[in-house]
Amino acid sequence: MSAVLREARFLLRDRGALLWIMLALLLSVAATGFGIAEVRDQRATIAELLVEDARDRANALAGQSDWGGAAYAAFHLTYAPPSEFSFAALGQRDTAPWLHRVRMLALEGQIHEADTKNADFGLIGRFDFAFLAAAVAPLLLILLLHDLRGQERVAGRHDLLVATAGKPSRLWLPRAGLRFAGLATALLLPFWAGAAIEGAGMAKVLAASALVLGALALWWLIIELVGRAQASPPVLLTALVGIWLALALLVPAVARAAIEASTPVPDGAEILMLQREAVNGAWDLPKEATMRPFLAAHPEWEPLGEVTRPFEWKWYFAFQQVGDGQAAPVAKAYREGRIARDRAAGIAAFLSPTALVERGFERLAATDTAAMIAYEDAVRAYHGELRAFYYPMLFRDPPYDPAVLSQLPGYTPAQ
Amino acid sequence: MNTVLLIAREEWRLWARSRVVLVAALIVAVLLAVTSAITAARVGDEAAKRTARQASAEATFFAQPDRHPHRMVHYGHYAFRSPPPLAAFDPGVDAVTGQSIFLEGHRQNTAMFADTRSGADLGGFAALNPANLYQLLLPLLLIIIGHGMVLRERESGTLAVMLAQGQSGLAIAGGKALALAGVAALFLLPVAGLAGFSVAAGEAPLAAAILVAGYALYLGVWVALVLAVSLLVRQRSVALGLLVFAWLLIALIVPRLAINAGSAAVDAPGKIESDLVMLAQQRALGDGHNAADPAFDALQKQVLEQYEAASIEELPINWRGVVAGYSEAKLTDLMNGYAEARMQKEAQQSRIVTLFGLVSPTLAVGASSRTLAGTDLATHHRFLRESEALRFDFVQGLNDLHAKALTYADDAARSADPEAEARTRVNADAWRLLETFRFVPDPATQRVARAGLPLALMLIWLAALGGVIAVGARRLRP
Repeated sequence: MSAVLREARFLLRDRGALLWIMLALLLSVAATGFGIAEVRDQRATIAELLVEDARDRANALAGQSDWGGAAYAAFHLTYAPPSEFSFAALGQRDTAPWLHRVRMLALEGQIHEADTKNADFGLIGRFDFAFLAAAVAPLLLILLLHDLRGQERVAGRHDLLVATAGKPSRLWLPRAGLRFAGLATALLLPFWAGAAIEGAGMAKVLAASALVLGALALWWLIIELVGRAQASPPVLLTALVGIWLALALLVPAVARAAIEASTPVPDGAEILMLQREAVNGAWDLPKEATMRPFLAAHPEWEPLGEVTRPFEWKWYFAFQQVGDGQAAPVAKAYREGRIARDRAAGIAAFLSPTALVERGFERLAATDTAAMIAYEDAVRAYHGELRAFYYPMLFRDPPYDPAVLSQLPGYTPAQ
Repeated sequence: MNTVLLIAREEWRLWARSRVVLVAALIVAVLLAVTSAITAARVGDEAAKRTARQASAEATFFAQPDRHPHRMVHYGHYAFRSPPPLAAFDPGVDAVTGQSIFLEGHRQNTAMFADTRSGADLGGFAALNPANLYQLLLPLLLIIIGHGMVLRERESGTLAVMLAQGQSGLAIAGGKALALAGVAALFLLPVAGLAGFSVAAGEAPLAAAILVAGYALYLGVWVALVLAVSLLVRQRSVALGLLVFAWLLIALIVPRLAINAGSAAVDAPGKIESDLVMLAQQRALGDGHNAADPAFDALQKQVLEQYEAASIEELPINWRGVVAGYSEAKLTDLMNGYAEARMQKEAQQSRIVTLFGLVSPTLAVGASSRTLAGTDLATHHRFLRESEALRFDFVQGLNDLHAKALTYADDAARSADPEAEARTRVNADAWRLLETFRFVPDPATQRVARAGLPLALMLIWLAALGGVIAVGARRLRP
């Protein structure tokens, strides 16, 4: 205990160390603050859009006189609200869409719309807590700990200190441990405060904290092992920065390139082209060509499936769905390719503590690829509900009654 | 002058014997070479693929059968953004923004299928390209090589000897600066090579040359920073710690904080958000599919007067086509207004980010590099504007056909009368009205003008650090 108190006194007089720890605190406050502001902004956007969306739909439906016209005109907002933990890791939300407005037309033509932010944001990236903890904190730890021994060597006290301490660990452990604890506290305190403000679940906060501490402990171990080498502080620092570069930058980049080369994903543009050809081609084809595959998928409408007039809404929406069906294999391959790449990235992340921490945070925050794909799945499911709602109207064609449209399914985001 | 060269040569000799320096330099050189080759191959491949897709989209459009022209409006077309030659060095926002856009009547779609959407997510900076290496890695290399330049002389006592021999502090600083600048110049060779390669591929020599000059300026700033710290700090480990800290701040932290600041300062609405606001206005314009919409009464009166006709049936042109063209023009005006506002907000955000270049030369060089390479946000906006012009042209061409090649009577009867329907099909030769589209970035002079601000920011850095070095060198004491 006395050793810790002694080291605490030393630390308070070590201006360099205090500077790094203060900096960590400031950066953590900034990262958390900006994260919370952005998440609130996104929530406000969604709340505003929900109102506008309802108003627009009411407006669009007001002028309609048949079921098909209503289905054609009414858009529906779908969205993935940021989780309580998103403030710490905005992740894919800057590059993947989390808002759509869909209607009864072919979904493949709508779901790939990218309502993304300023491209520079996705390119440079935000300074969120996940980035701070994953990439910056290890460097700060390196700066804090790399010359503990070197300082004493330069001061000429090293050998004497080691000799009087008995066991070297009794000397270096409290000294390094205290700096480690100082840095970790400076990082985590603002994060915890932010989590409390945002109401993030205790389990997630604990898991995230454990992730940060675990990764930092790993870095401590690396610094300790390198620091034992008999080399001058500049050489040690150079070596440590080199290791950091390799683990934080090169390994993820090489892994990413390797994964993307070995797991191909079909060109997304192909999905759209297939869908377009199918949907547009249907106008020139006999009605049979559309209704046959449609009725095979929906045998319940077989008795009402005959199209007699040149234009009927049920046929129009049937060829929208058939168009989706034609693009489905490529769309499925695209989705599965993304999942496969993400899975491979999850394994590769074990080679890089930086990638591991960032991915861990994104998963906790539901801002990872899996969450974005889950959102797309939810949009698909919702679009299916819309079809299930409208098909009875289109095929049975009861007299148009706007009151029925108040029972239109609404989109509820998954929690 | 001779002393300066002598000091520099001595420094080079020393570095050539240092294992740390050699290993670090070798690693960076290999990384640069490999990354450059891979990126150049990948971008070249991508450019060829997108150009081929563009051509095939045009061929598909031309090959459509005889149809009602409005069907072609909805059949639509694609525009692809091919990467310019310098994207082989700096792919910029290419991976983040969609690469293709579907063009159809009455709608402005977003660019879809960005690489990042299907990318393997391994965190913050998992994309390596030559530009990234220059921006992030080379400063570190210069720090590792150069942080001890003056300090070494001080620690070994040779500084006192040099000063006693009558060498001025300025000459010593000049020699050290020359030594490190020489290393930086050596490492400019890959970017110069890629720039030459891009000129051979059709890039303007001006843009390529200024791009290389921008990186020379950037590395110059780091050389000056390293020298300044080495001059002013008294302990080697402190100097290195300070420089690594500066790198951390300048290269990693400030750029991202700038993004946070830009995003917080300017609220740029997403497309869905601004579309919703627009829709309400759009409804007031009338539905172009419905020629009987009361919104078109004034137009009808005017057209009837112009052709001295009593009713739309008597018009020599097809009223439905007139309405389609009129409402498309109105709607496009409205959509362009919103799109323009959105792009301006984004440009404002990016300007804030660029101004942070005053704190971080890494941001400044990134901005100038992307601008000159034609892979910046403004070039993406140019793509959006040009593809919109392409969309409007072919849609209006088809609407014109709709008004002039079809009779109103046939057009009105086509849903019920198969013979009238057959007469509304226009000969497929007419689809040739679609213009061929090959996306190219702004002309080099415009790009250079746009890169002026970030380049000036780096010049300010260099001048300020030069001043610090001059003062520090004059006061140099053992």
